[in-house]
Amino acid sequence: MKVILSLFILLIVSLNLSAHNVVGGVYVNGADIEGEAGFSNGAMAKVGTLVKVFDQSGIPLGEVKTDDEGFFIFTAKKRITHVFEINMGAGHTLKMLLPADELPESLGEVIVTQPKTTVKHSENSRGLTLMQLEKAIAKQIKPLRREIRALKEKAGLRDIIGGIGYIFGLLGMVALLRERRLKRCAQSLKVNT
Amino acid sequence: MHIVDGALSAPVLVSGAVLAIVGVFIGLKKMDYDQLPLVGVLASVFFIASYIHLPLGFSSVHLIMNGLLGILLGWVAFPALLVALLLQVVFFGFGGLLVLGVNTLNIALPAVIVYYLCYRGVRHESAKVAAIWGAIGGASAIVLTSIMVAFSLALSGESFVLAAKAVLPAHIPIMVVEAFVSYAAVYLIHTVKPEFITKESI
Repeated sequence: MKVILSLFILLIVSLNLSAHNVVGGVYVNGADIEGEAGFSNGAMAKVGTLVKVFDQSGIPLGEVKTDDEGFFIFTAKKRITHVFEINMGAGHTLKMLLPADELPESLGEVIVTQPKTTVKHSENSRGLTLMQLEKAIAKQIKPLRREIRALKEKAGLRDIIGGIGYIFGLLGMVALLRERRLKRCAQSLKVNT
Repeated sequence: MHIVDGALSAPVLVSGAVLAIVGVFIGLKKMDYDQLPLVGVLASVFFIASYIHLPLGFSSVHLIMNGLLGILLGWVAFPALLVALLLQVVFFGFGGLLVLGVNTLNIALPAVIVYYLCYRGVRHESAKVAAIWGAIGGASAIVLTSIMVAFSLALSGESFVLAAKAVLPAHIPIMVVEAFVSYAAVYLIHTVKPEFITKESI
């Protein structure tokens, strides 16, 4: 474990600014789970960053490595919730969860269901299997996903001004309480004399 | 320098939080209430500084400004930074709530150390000498912070040397920029409003 962790660090020693948030996503593409990992400033995870895959109870399911764009593919074997853990070094860890219900039903843990579902869908979609359809949709919404993620990470002017407002408000409150206490002290002094 | 949730082990999180609470407590005890506006302004400076990313080569850096906070606030840097860091978690998603204690400690303790380190220096009569001490304070606060970040990572299982190697090079550009900014800030304060610095005890 320690050796692996150290290896990540060595990979990242080159230039990694620790000021950024880690971002990433996992999504289903047919039986494959595709995922990305990177930093909020747009830089992606370094090539060969290890992605560990677990199930919900922490039993390891396998490991994959990212390519040069921080992208990785893991082929799901069971329709269970997958947990992805990526350590990008210097305290940048990312944990992503892929719920079981996002995976195609054909992957069902009970193999008997497989033929049933495939037959049903090939009837409905005129030659397009459910897998193909999902693949096509996943491809189409990929840029959208990326954009939404970028948007989510971006804090606007409103956040900045809001934050400053909170700081000033908090200090104003401290000043107010202090003032009241001083006044009360002064009053009690007056009463006493 | 913001460690994210999930990177540290529980004992590190707890001890960081406890130490941060002690620091905040000392800071609140030592706080001079006439200084409240200054505390507010500096907390805001820190809050914003982390958001402004300066492009540098193919990457970007952001200022931390804990050296300047330390020089001006001393122990009061603890409560000021706690508030600012909490708001950064809420608004920007930097770091996380669980690691808030560790992050506060990692950033505020160097600030306090710098306060004592530069105590005499920044109170020098000559504005230039004071400003140079300010620059030293600004740079050393970053060094100390990165060492502490590396240390917290090391305590959670990563090897210290490797963690330090990952954290320190990344902070070198910040160190340089920070030294310049602190130099300018201390110079300005020394010339315009020396009582911010020369106040005997904070």
